[in-house]
Amino acid sequence: MWKLLIPVLLVAAGLMLAVVADKPAPKADLVVINRGDINTLDVQRMTWMQDLRVGVTLYEGLVVSDVFTWGFDKKPGMAERWEVDADKKSWTFHIRPDAKWSNGEALTARDFVYSWRRALLPDLVGDYINFFTLIEGGQEFYDWRKEAIRTFSAESDGRPRPAEAQALWRETLAKFDEMVNLKAVDDRTLKVRLVRPVAFWLDIVAFEVLSPVYGPLVDKYQFVDPITGRLNFESEWTKPPLLVSNGKFKLTEWRFKRDMRVERNEHYWNQAAINVDSIAFPSVEDPNAQVLTFQTGNIDLLTDVVPDYRAELLARKRAFYRENQAKYDELRALGLDPVAIDRQLPPDPRKNIHTFPGFGTYWYNFNCLPTLTDGRANPFADPRVRRAFVMAIDRQNIVDNIRRTGESVAYTIIPPGSLDGYTSPKGIRYDPVAAKALLIEAGYPDPSKFPTVEVLFNRDGGHDLIAQAVKRDWEQNLGVPVRLDQKEIKVFRNDLKNQNFMIGRAGWFGDYGDPATFLDLNQSRDGNNDRKYSSPVFDQLLVDAQNEQDPAKRLAILTQAEALLVDEDCPLIPIFHYNLVMMFNPDTLSGVSPHPRQKQHFYRLDKLGDGKGAEEALQLPARVAPAGSRGLQAVPGGGK
Amino acid sequence: MIQLITRRLLLLPIVLLVIYTLTLFLAWQIPGSPLDNPEGRQPPAEVQAAMEAQYKLDNFGTFYWSYLDNACGTKWLRETITGEAAANAQAAVAAGRPVPIRRVFDLGPSLQYEDWKVNEIIASSLPVSIVLGGAAVLWAVMVGVLAGVVGAVRPGSLADLGTLLVALIGISLPNFVVGTVLLLIGPVLLGIGTIGSWGAISDVIWPSLTLSMPFAAYIARLTRLGMIEVLGTDYIRTARAKGVSPRGVVLRHALKNAFLPVLSYLGPAAAMAMTGSFVVERVFNVPGIGKHFVNAVLNKDLFLIIGVVMVFATMLIIFNLIVDVLYRWVDPRIV
Repeated sequence: MWKLLIPVLLVAAGLMLAVVADKPAPKADLVVINRGDINTLDVQRMTWMQDLRVGVTLYEGLVVSDVFTWGFDKKPGMAERWEVDADKKSWTFHIRPDAKWSNGEALTARDFVYSWRRALLPDLVGDYINFFTLIEGGQEFYDWRKEAIRTFSAESDGRPRPAEAQALWRETLAKFDEMVNLKAVDDRTLKVRLVRPVAFWLDIVAFEVLSPVYGPLVDKYQFVDPITGRLNFESEWTKPPLLVSNGKFKLTEWRFKRDMRVERNEHYWNQAAINVDSIAFPSVEDPNAQVLTFQTGNIDLLTDVVPDYRAELLARKRAFYRENQAKYDELRALGLDPVAIDRQLPPDPRKNIHTFPGFGTYWYNFNCLPTLTDGRANPFADPRVRRAFVMAIDRQNIVDNIRRTGESVAYTIIPPGSLDGYTSPKGIRYDPVAAKALLIEAGYPDPSKFPTVEVLFNRDGGHDLIAQAVKRDWEQNLGVPVRLDQKEIKVFRNDLKNQNFMIGRAGWFGDYGDPATFLDLNQSRDGNNDRKYSSPVFDQLLVDAQNEQDPAKRLAILTQAEALLVDEDCPLIPIFHYNLVMMFNPDTLSGVSPHPRQKQHFYRLDKLGDGKGAEEALQLPARVAPAGSRGLQAVPGGGK
Repeated sequence: MIQLITRRLLLLPIVLLVIYTLTLFLAWQIPGSPLDNPEGRQPPAEVQAAMEAQYKLDNFGTFYWSYLDNACGTKWLRETITGEAAANAQAAVAAGRPVPIRRVFDLGPSLQYEDWKVNEIIASSLPVSIVLGGAAVLWAVMVGVLAGVVGAVRPGSLADLGTLLVALIGISLPNFVVGTVLLLIGPVLLGIGTIGSWGAISDVIWPSLTLSMPFAAYIARLTRLGMIEVLGTDYIRTARAKGVSPRGVVLRHALKNAFLPVLSYLGPAAAMAMTGSFVVERVFNVPGIGKHFVNAVLNKDLFLIIGVVMVFATMLIIFNLIVDVLYRWVDPRIV
């Protein structure tokens, strides 16, 4: 018998040892559960929201957006000042003398040239290549390099040619200097010339992907492939202790799907702007466990609350508001932002859940091509039919009774109130009677003879519930036959890309603070125009806007362009504007921005009452929201 | 014994090759491109094509061989012998560029989590799963054998029915129910262990207990059946007649033989507990390997799918081997 116990004891002892050896790190000043897992910390390759949020704590660009101002005002970052020539195309950025990397080395203008050049390489497969091709010569360089790789690869024919590949790389560097109008005049002066005046250029410069990476380190992990001539990117350098960055924090721990930790960067130029010494980002996948972790007090901020019962949590918050109705109305009349209002109300665990309008919209695409992929005629090629279908959906019902999580109904593509100075068009309201009339006018006197409408959407995420509501509306209000087509995400995505659909679910989050971030998707030639909507008038309006120097007039043209989309041509049906549901205690945490563009800069986070940092509760400047606007939707859950 | 081990180890690569072929064939059928970004933005077409070419994703045959070449270390070996690696390094140094990193056994990159190699992912998550699975097996053996013995000594008694009931619950209640209940009882109510962290001993208790449930239940039934059968045999009657104490009979004579079926079950059970803990890992947020099984398939993360499947297969084979060795050690009569 004892013979049997030996292995058992051995296993037990081994387990003990393994666990003891695997010590958790000391608790950080702030613990944040950031949506999903981090895909990459290579700032030039970032795409996902959670990556960008961590990116902004680790890296700093030339200028920085202040997420606690309505216009996302630009503050100096690595550049202490900047100017633009009269032609609005040539920009000069002056790097601050005390700009340093987290290893203490000086940061220079050359670091920006290195990083932006890296982003312009087709080898890197950056998603935001369009930002960099705004630089004069950028597109030409990108195309040249692409072609050079193709030729080299073909000539190699599977044979390694290391010396030639290295020569190609040297040539690429020389070509960049020759072709692209991006120059480090000296260590502290960066000059960049754009292809055209870009009204939102500073907003792009403030975007995380334009932050610099530390060349001496990164370059050690970029290898020239002897067969294809491509640059291969290895990513060992994005892990501690290697990663060198220039932001307010430096990376000290990153274990895959487990945890990440950032700590104060002592070499950062403005120590006063750092509110905490460390932030931990544990990776918790299960939505339920995330909420439990918050409720047991183990974390300070949960950025995305997704369990189904969040609607109930929000209902409880509404009840809390009702109990404090008088005070709430009074604060709201002052134009305070929702978090500031919460802070003034009595402490209560019910107020820890928050909804903020997001910079994104959920919509349905119409396939606008004259024929469908299987050769049938497409009834939705006619804008009148599309408009009738838009009119026939009761979107308020979807928001109030199906989503139940406080989103606002979308009549436009761009979330109203998210862009300072931009006026949204009206959009088409729910009107079943007019819808039916319009459908008859479009040549369908007997709607039951209308070709069966196929609605394509992907599994999960509650898309099926919305599709069912839409189906019911169309069947009841228009009398057309509707079929729902649910597919697995990859197949769904493929079908959308190849126009293998009649009507398909879609959505978009804006990247930068300009209407173009949404409107460009509808240009005839845009790669993300799954609808294949093509309107010379619309395309021309966007070109006109590009050429317009006066900012107010430019925005007016863009309003006109959006009006064409949502009032007239209707290539898509806006359904609701996304919102983000977060959990944090407003009495103890400051720095979560309620701005409708929903960009979170985690370095603004401050634990109130811990004696570290500014210790002031940040809030947006008071602004009384016009009736019906979504800017400050203080009562989560809408009307009911 | 040595012969058995050598034979099994020689068979290992062949079995793995078959599993690899089947896995890749199935994974290849998952619709969509592995390079798709599910959030909607797509890289330019030519970039996508270049990446597909780089990872050899454009052709099944090429991918099949190139993956084997990288993963088995033959590419490394060939490049070293032919001097290709040296030439490449020399060219890089001459150009003032860094010398490329070479890995002997390269399982490829994760296509979803760009900063991680499959090697790294497995290296970080496998030890966690081994600890969790090991603890679960330990629970299962202790609880299961004890319950089985108690039941077998007095069949039909209250204790027997009680253990039967518990075993039934353990086998039929799904992990996520047991897990959620234990999560609420343990960390939330009792304050033992934390939610969403891993590293302290108290963090291992609840997930391993949850994971052990079905195994413990099965072991309890196996032990009980074995014991009842053994307790009825002649040699036990002889031992009793000789005046061996009842405890001695059960522990020294009966359990030893009744344990053999349990032992043979432990091999696959251990492999399963260490890799098949997806649900438990999710509920308790354990950074183990189980989640990669499911997530990798959902993301069509080809390299990761093959990587974790091969790890699972290897573990299964090795644990079965260990069990066979233990078997002989416990009962030398078995050849």
